[in-house]
Amino acid sequence: MSGQPAVFDGEPGHALKRFWESGPSGWNRTLTRPVVLVPFFVGAAIVPLILQYLEDNSSWIGAQYWTLILATCAMYACLAVALNLVVGYAGLLNLGFIAFFGIGSYAYALVASDQIHLHFPLWAALLVVIVVTLAFALLVGVPALRLRGDYLAIVTLAFGLIMTNLILDLDRPPVLAGHQFGPDGLNITNGTNGLHNVAPFSLPTSLPLLGDIPHYRMYYWVFLGFLALSIFCMLRWRNTRTGRAWVAIREDELAARAMGVNIFKYRLLAFCTSAVMAGIVGMIDAALVFNAYPENFAVQQTVQVFVMAILGGLGSLPGAIIGSIAFTIPPYVLQQFVFYKYLIISVVLIAVMVFRPEGLLGTVSLRPRKALGGTIELLTAESAEEVAEMPAVSGADAAEIEAVTGEIVTPEQKA
Amino acid sequence: MGYFLQQLVNGLELGSLYALVALGYTLIYGILELLNFAHGDVFMVGAFLAAGAAAALVHNEIAAIPGGFVVVLMLLVAMGGAGVLGVAIERVAYRPLRNANRLAPLITAIGVSLFLENAVFVWVSPAPVLVPTNALVSQGVIQAGSVATPLTGLVLFAGALALMIALDLFVFRTRFGSAMRATAQDREAATFMGIDVDRVIMVTFFIASALAGLGGVLFGLRYASVDFFMGYGLGIKAFTAAVIGGIGNIRGAMVGGLLLGVLESLSGGFISTQFQDTFVFLALIAVLLLRPQGLLGQPVTDRA
Repeated sequence: MSGQPAVFDGEPGHALKRFWESGPSGWNRTLTRPVVLVPFFVGAAIVPLILQYLEDNSSWIGAQYWTLILATCAMYACLAVALNLVVGYAGLLNLGFIAFFGIGSYAYALVASDQIHLHFPLWAALLVVIVVTLAFALLVGVPALRLRGDYLAIVTLAFGLIMTNLILDLDRPPVLAGHQFGPDGLNITNGTNGLHNVAPFSLPTSLPLLGDIPHYRMYYWVFLGFLALSIFCMLRWRNTRTGRAWVAIREDELAARAMGVNIFKYRLLAFCTSAVMAGIVGMIDAALVFNAYPENFAVQQTVQVFVMAILGGLGSLPGAIIGSIAFTIPPYVLQQFVFYKYLIISVVLIAVMVFRPEGLLGTVSLRPRKALGGTIELLTAESAEEVAEMPAVSGADAAEIEAVTGEIVTPEQKA
Repeated sequence: MGYFLQQLVNGLELGSLYALVALGYTLIYGILELLNFAHGDVFMVGAFLAAGAAAALVHNEIAAIPGGFVVVLMLLVAMGGAGVLGVAIERVAYRPLRNANRLAPLITAIGVSLFLENAVFVWVSPAPVLVPTNALVSQGVIQAGSVATPLTGLVLFAGALALMIALDLFVFRTRFGSAMRATAQDREAATFMGIDVDRVIMVTFFIASALAGLGGVLFGLRYASVDFFMGYGLGIKAFTAAVIGGIGNIRGAMVGGLLLGVLESLSGGFISTQFQDTFVFLALIAVLLLRPQGLLGQPVTDRA
């Protein structure tokens, strides 16, 4: 590991020990430093070149296959980061999340295929995707975010189902109470078949120094670039008024409101930003596979992205990447178990929630709060225990931890 | 008019099924404030248990077994099995998270739902399983004027209605029912009154899941085919019914279920079968926006 963070001086063994002992928030802090992230992304970008080199110089074939897997992995990482924004940062359970991915891919497919004979240039298509996903996000978000927490989950779930129905049924003109809307041959979504022959982005097929770039490798880099951009924005955002407002709302809505935080505004912002991010990922995916499928809306996909974000730890960006790697690569390696894929995913999801609800690197504590004891004695004993468990941090250090990770350093004490 | 009445009857039949499953959602939400997303899949497991019991008895050529006896056995197996499953789910997946952030049990509930679906898909059958209804119940059709309904449909409606009345009496008239209501109102205060909250929650899960199992049996008898994914769609509809009626409110779940069934049937019959489900979910969103506490629910203050 060449890029050791500057905070670790002294012998490497000692630094590793200190890293290990710094706990999830410390790991998170270290792993989101530029000195770790930049080499990580450069290394990840080089991997397909190494695969190509291996294929050229040995009897092994599969560089293209593995590059596609890497692209899938990067795609899920983008989705997990976007989900982290809405669930991890803002604490909103959006169960219709994957619908925005589907909306993005269909929006792009419609303006870049023969379905309705539109062929927009990339920038215009991107604009269309952003506007369409934003419109849907506002349509759901504006009414739903005014409701109590649980109801948001219901409304977004219902929204996802409505979108699935619409995609499946809009291959023919809608007929309402005997009146047909639109001409006879109207076919917007092509039903269960999905949209085919979607044009890829007009990207260069070869670059100076790198030579020819195969389709999959290019899109792997596109996903990786989008991932890097998302993570950069999220890390910068954490430190601003907006990021602090999100964390405040998630930790204690009432207190945040009392501090004058406009809860509705910040929730809507998180909801819409995450939706647009998912929409753009959907657009890149449609260009990568030349198709937009109704399966893009499948609820199982939502659960899969949730598992990735939760295993890595809600609120943690490196966790989202680790989670997406952990759930993308193994199904390809362990082909014989692919039948059991969702069974395994569901067991992992339950086990993580029960045994380590904050995930591997999470900073959002979903742990059961200790119920308040019936007597004063119990109460003080517990408080004393909590104080004793608090890490000894200096004031400046605590402020930095809060600013960088968004973690509230003092233990949460809600009734 | 005849067409309208026929749609209404179909809607009531469907609605009574929704109501049975909706009761489970509402009971569990009332006690734990937990949206048990896995409840629809408990219904599905119940239906599979019933189908399995029926197939085992009917295909064994034990011709002496009368159909009515098989149905009773199906009810016992499905309701008992589903009830035990519900209690097990609560024990494993929800109890450890009882005082956690509200997000945590919601996420586990989704995990349990996915687990049950895939467990049945992988270990039981990826294809629909047929229920030998011909050998079990009369396939007669009841004709009243221009309205016709199969006998099984009537059984479904009557069975659901009887169970709902029994449940209502249990919750509002018995000692254990008042313990349940006390736990729902304030878990801590209920503990101080000497109520064994864990036991109340366990029994609630058993009752809710057994009702879903009963729904599974009736579904199998009426529609003659069960598949691993059926709990998902029906679960969401039943859940919608519970929310429309006012989640946490038992009578609301019954009213909501019947209303939703009728709404679905009428919108399918008069507006568009193509967008039938879309109307159902639009109704849900409309109710949540205009009257978030549901039709019969009490207004709740925002608990931050």
